[in-house]
Amino acid sequence: MEISIKRVSKDFFSEGKKIKALSNVDLTIPANQIFTLLGPSGCGKTTLLRCIVGLETPDSGEITIGEEIVWSKEKNIFVPPEKRGLSMVFQTYAIWPHMTVFDNVAYPLQTRKEPKEEIRSKVEKTLRFVQLEGFENRPATKLSGGQQQRVALARALVPEPKVILFDEPLSNLDAKLREETRKELRSFLTELKITAVYVTHDRIEALSLSDAIAVMMDGRWVEIGTPKKIYFDSDHRFVADFIGQANLISGKVAAIEDSYTIVDSSIGTIACQKSPDTSVGNGVTLCIRPEFIKVIEGEAREGSNIFRGRVESLLFVGDAYEGEIVVADTRLIVRIEPTAIVEEGDEIALSFDPDHCFVLSK
Amino acid sequence: MLNTRTALTPSLIAIVGFLTVCPVVMLVFGSFSEGIGAFGTFTLEKYIESYTDPEFANIIVNTVIFTIGSAFVATLLALFLAYLNTRTNIPFKFLFRIISIIPMMIPHILFSVSWVLLLNPSNGLINLFLRQILSLENSPFNIYTLGGMILVEGLLDLPIAYLILAPAMAAFDVSLEESSKVSGASNLRTLTRVTLPVLRPAILASFILVIVRSLASFAVPSIIGMPGRIYVLATHIYRIIATGFAADFGMAAAVGMSALAASITLIYLYRYLTSESEKYVTISSRGYRPALIELKNAKYPLFGIVALLSFVLIVLPVLVLFYTSLVPYSMVPSAKAFSMMSGKHWLQVLKDPISLLSLKNSVFLGIVGASLGVILSIFVSYVIVKVRTPAAGVLESLSFLSFSFPGIVIGVGFMWFFVRTPLYATIWSLLIGYIATYLPYGIRPLTSAFIQIHSHLEESSRVCGGGTLYTLRRIIIPLLIPGVVSGWILMATMFVRELTLSVVLSRPGTEVLAVQILRFAEDGLWGKLSALGIMMIFISSTLVVIASLIGTKLTKVEEESR
Ligand SMILES: Nc1ncnc2c1ncn2[C@@H]1O[C@H](COP(=O)(O)OP(=O)(O)OP(=O)(O)O)[C@@H](O)[C@H]1O
Ligand SMILES: [Mg+2]
Repeated sequence: MEISIKRVSKDFFSEGKKIKALSNVDLTIPANQIFTLLGPSGCGKTTLLRCIVGLETPDSGEITIGEEIVWSKEKNIFVPPEKRGLSMVFQTYAIWPHMTVFDNVAYPLQTRKEPKEEIRSKVEKTLRFVQLEGFENRPATKLSGGQQQRVALARALVPEPKVILFDEPLSNLDAKLREETRKELRSFLTELKITAVYVTHDRIEALSLSDAIAVMMDGRWVEIGTPKKIYFDSDHRFVADFIGQANLISGKVAAIEDSYTIVDSSIGTIACQKSPDTSVGNGVTLCIRPEFIKVIEGEAREGSNIFRGRVESLLFVGDAYEGEIVVADTRLIVRIEPTAIVEEGDEIALSFDPDHCFVLSK
Repeated sequence: MLNTRTALTPSLIAIVGFLTVCPVVMLVFGSFSEGIGAFGTFTLEKYIESYTDPEFANIIVNTVIFTIGSAFVATLLALFLAYLNTRTNIPFKFLFRIISIIPMMIPHILFSVSWVLLLNPSNGLINLFLRQILSLENSPFNIYTLGGMILVEGLLDLPIAYLILAPAMAAFDVSLEESSKVSGASNLRTLTRVTLPVLRPAILASFILVIVRSLASFAVPSIIGMPGRIYVLATHIYRIIATGFAADFGMAAAVGMSALAASITLIYLYRYLTSESEKYVTISSRGYRPALIELKNAKYPLFGIVALLSFVLIVLPVLVLFYTSLVPYSMVPSAKAFSMMSGKHWLQVLKDPISLLSLKNSVFLGIVGASLGVILSIFVSYVIVKVRTPAAGVLESLSFLSFSFPGIVIGVGFMWFFVRTPLYATIWSLLIGYIATYLPYGIRPLTSAFIQIHSHLEESSRVCGGGTLYTLRRIIIPLLIPGVVSGWILMATMFVRELTLSVVLSRPGTEVLAVQILRFAEDGLWGKLSALGIMMIFISSTLVVIASLIGTKLTKVEEESR
């Protein structure tokens, strides 16, 4: 089911101060996709999710889920959360401690007064699906973090909802478990073909899990796109910086050629991707990710996109070195192969493909 | 919905504020009035009269010795036990949990009585026994002394001191001690030069809290002090209002003011010290268990002391009362004594109309009072935990306001209020006084229960399709039940045994168990007293069992009704 959000705003008042949690959000979440809201802490992700599910009422605007308007300021419509037919997985999992695993999972069906036999078979099926069969009669408190997370997921899946909302569901798991669960979650959700809205501030999680990402900042989204588009071809300085390590270089457009844009910058002349809305003389910021900068070994030729610099520091991070290289007073972060023979203080030459260097126009 | 919510906090502030502020304000005004019938007239007469009484200086001296002495006994014993439990390899550590909890369940008045039965000079069992076997002329022990009072009060306050000191001792940074030992100091030297000084804030906190408690104590001063003509502030106030021809509530209020002032100062000091010691603990606490000190030869003798203490604190009082309720007069246990045992005292009590009335009143106060008190506590805790506005903070401070003040002083304050209302001399005046004074017993467990109900638990039920009422029935209430049950149990057991407020507020027709027990003690009717005392313990325990059973049952019903 598609979710459409129109001009939704929400202010909070705390200790006499007004906090704008959402300002005029316009957003359409397409059906049957994993749609992620990504952004730094406090940017309003949770608030937006809670507005969709009905735990928070916006100050203005309209929210439509499928065909049904669930909230409208002008038309004075508010459908309470229990009537919206959505499911949600909370950051704390919100497992009820006084119930068994079975009762936790059966709860959404019990609220609809479904027949007992049907409840039992559906709960069993769902528990099998999340690999928790045999745990039915465990008290919910006697579970590991990962198991609790699955109970929360099972509870969200059991009523076969059209939409599931996730608020940082993996943030309480340890790193290894988080990676495994992320993969599983992706396969569950694609198998089930439902609309999932996923909130996180973890960029790796967002990139690996989503069909589309909306990057949020200060109560608004600034860019929406597929993970690849967001990572490789963002238009926004903020987004490019937030989604991964980035070298941001400012300069001025010197020429626009057939296939590349030529920019004069502090490290020299750079050839980079074409961007539709720049013209000669514009000030621009370029973005180049550390993993695309290559160290040229041996005798370096002169040529385009080749720069000379000095190795300021080298940090061994396991699968690579993270090097800081100073090129004409500008510091670049570069990922260097662990096999490369480089030492701190060396003078080296760097190069990168113009296709991997993109212009941030906003 | 919104309106009822916004009105909740102010109305609770009004109710709780009335309950806890009213007695204090009435006490202040009363102390400046000419008499209980002339409220609001301003005079210093009562102050002059009570503070120039030549005996007053004596009472202050007694009070100081009594409170400080009890604090010494309780704190030293608690330190000893806490050290043994947390830092040594003493066997049977479960005993320490028992020592720290069970004695709170024995009513103070009965504990005091049992010591009188053992150590009074005319026919205390231990005295009789020693006289028999050593053929002494006079009794070797006399409980009716300041020393006797201090011993019993110290034992009564031991659990409180222990509950403060044991956690502090457990959080202690052992590397401080280890470095002392590395530099060559012995265990004992390390203890006196490093361990105790570092624990000083906690030790002082325990010391002061015991002083506050013993200043408020009435059971020991009345049962043990009064027969020996040793008066402290609490019993002095009692004497002013309850004995002689004319009760003078003005003078009682004037004397009460100094007890109140002392309590407030001490509580303030206590708060300051605990915040200090908490700072200390957070700096030094670490996540591993210290190596336990090997006691070697001292292990079993030390354990013997602990076992003896547990016996003296828990088993002995009940045993002595039970024995005394069955024998016709005080005599050392012997074949003869056992042959003369009968249910005579029990029958007498069950035929005594006033005892029966006091049983009925106390059961009523326990059940109805605890129920009303818990209902109020539910609302107050909800506001404290979930609303959390500045007004909610005010409510929290108000609820704990009169908790540590001497009960008899609060009673005198309430008296000034109740004589002006139709509630005077009714059971309801006791009920209101009880709830006001013991409100924290209900609020503590319920605030923990509410804290446990994270808002997500409620919200996730809504998202799962449960409406407001459905969520209330299946999520909120079941999660609150354990808190409600323990709040109810705490309040009910306190109410069934309540003495200090009751000696002021109870009138003919509204006698309660503890007051009737005090009367029996004043008349030396030990057999009947013991029988009634055992009944009191029995009633408390029954209420505890019933409440727990209902709690379990309610949780079950929720599971079946799904
Ligand atoms: N109930 C509330 N009362 C007052 N302010 C609130 C409330 N809920 C959220 N806010 C504020 O609104 C803003 C957005 O909060 P929100 O919880 O949506 O952020 P978030 O993007 O989910 O952040 P995080 O990643 O830390 O969870 C924050 O500044 C927050 O302090
Ligand atoms: Mg959040």
